[in-house]
Amino acid sequence: MKRTGYLYDLRYLLHDTGPYHPECAERLQAIHRGIETGGLLPLVKEISAVKADMRWIEAVHEPGYIRRFEELCLSGHRTFDFPDNQMCPETYEIAFLAAGGVIEAVRRVMAGEIDNAFCVVRPPGHHAEVNQAMGFCYFNNIAIAARYLQEEWGVARIGIFDFDVHHGNGTQHVFEQDPTVFYYSCHEHPTFAFPGTGRSFEKGVGPGLGTTRNWPVLPGQGDDEYRKLIETDLWPAFDAFKPEVVLVSCGFDAHEEDDMSDIRLTTAGYSYVMEQIVAIAEKYAGGRIVSVLEGGYCLARLPELARNHVQILLGKDIPA
Amino acid sequence: MFVHRSMTPRVITIGKEASLLEAKDLMRNKNIRHLPVVDEQQKLIGIITDRDIRGAMPLENVRLPDFCKKMEVASQLKVGDVMTPDPITIGPHDTIEDALLMFEQKKVGAFPVIDAEGRLKGIISVRDILRAFTNVLGIGQPGTLLCILVEEKVGQLKKIVDAITEEGISFGSVLVARYWDENKRAVFPYLLTNNVVRVKQKLKALGFELLDPMEWYIDQLPRHERDG
Repeated sequence: MKRTGYLYDLRYLLHDTGPYHPECAERLQAIHRGIETGGLLPLVKEISAVKADMRWIEAVHEPGYIRRFEELCLSGHRTFDFPDNQMCPETYEIAFLAAGGVIEAVRRVMAGEIDNAFCVVRPPGHHAEVNQAMGFCYFNNIAIAARYLQEEWGVARIGIFDFDVHHGNGTQHVFEQDPTVFYYSCHEHPTFAFPGTGRSFEKGVGPGLGTTRNWPVLPGQGDDEYRKLIETDLWPAFDAFKPEVVLVSCGFDAHEEDDMSDIRLTTAGYSYVMEQIVAIAEKYAGGRIVSVLEGGYCLARLPELARNHVQILLGKDIPA
Repeated sequence: MFVHRSMTPRVITIGKEASLLEAKDLMRNKNIRHLPVVDEQQKLIGIITDRDIRGAMPLENVRLPDFCKKMEVASQLKVGDVMTPDPITIGPHDTIEDALLMFEQKKVGAFPVIDAEGRLKGIISVRDILRAFTNVLGIGQPGTLLCILVEEKVGQLKKIVDAITEEGISFGSVLVARYWDENKRAVFPYLLTNNVVRVKQKLKALGFELLDPMEWYIDQLPRHERDG
């Protein structure tokens, strides 16, 4: 059995997005319930949130953006940049805890204290641009973690696999010119889904040409399409790139019962996807995976999806 | 919506006495495919395209025994010999819809833009029109497209707009398209949000049909109708 870190913190529940918002605290509670009732809590290494050092936030975001976020948030504004981005006065602080928690999980993996980790954080991050909040995201947690890996641990090749049903525009834009970070995203086709980027012709820019890949999935597609993209596209891409660490933008919103998308990935399909990522990480990255929660809004299905996710990270020989 | 807002104003031109090779180099260096031909007073007298040049210097020449002779002839050709005189033009205060319909009819790639005195003011290409309509569709901004099928009667759009406005969602654009069923219209609101779950439920509750995305048509008229 692997030593799997599990980042969960009650303070993440305090990010209040107001009534009827899909990105709500109940999502995290549902995920935690799944881990708990699945009997996995005694098996994982629990991690508490740590506030991120400003240095790491600034490794991705412009200082002016961070100040604007702080000012608007602390002065009681309920939205930031887009009406989608609902916040409360605590949001700024909690965004630091989300990014910092992921950094802490990455640190433990790199220090050899744990093998891999699942970070159940809010607010999510992969839509956040260098200077703009977008799609419920403020700080780009996964991009910040990748910068931390580069600068603090000197990791030369980082593979990011983003299976949230929406394209991670923020992450792509941060790394599109960086040949040392491979950003691979599969998501509902941008003509039919937010945010409208992630078309197959977006393959990176300048020196980063070739280390960005997008596989848009048409509405109604599911397990078969994901199997195809992983076997015929993701594996060859990562076989060639050989990531030293694998980061995962984990969105459960491609599930067939999640009404944020028209994609029909089943619970079993999600397990298949994660098993393949684990296999890639085993082959190239010494098993080092840090999975970071992005979307996933079907409260009824989140417990089982998260439980399977952690079970796959724990791997074989889980005590009954 | 006027041509002068979407055209390229600083247009690169050539004279009719210039050689074809000069025109060819100019196009390659500036990465363009259309050169308006002007006289000394900057009056438009023709247009020459990369295709005209290819036609005058066909690559197949290479295989012919008298290749050198043909190349010699080609290299002596002047722009005035192969240009299209009196090209189809458009005015700066024609609209981009005019340009769109003209492009469809005339089957050319660019129109020189000339004022009432015949002076060249710019050039507008298919690419300029594409950019303009990309902006019109609003797809440069993050958002979500819906497709709603409505009865063809007055007041339907208002209900849709009201429902979306009540959710506090801004519009990137709204497109209304014809549908194969004459009595229906397909309405495509592009909403500047990630969060369309509730508004979809609301629209369904109002009795609107949300079309399966795999059945969406923006361009859905039968071919013969479009071409005829």
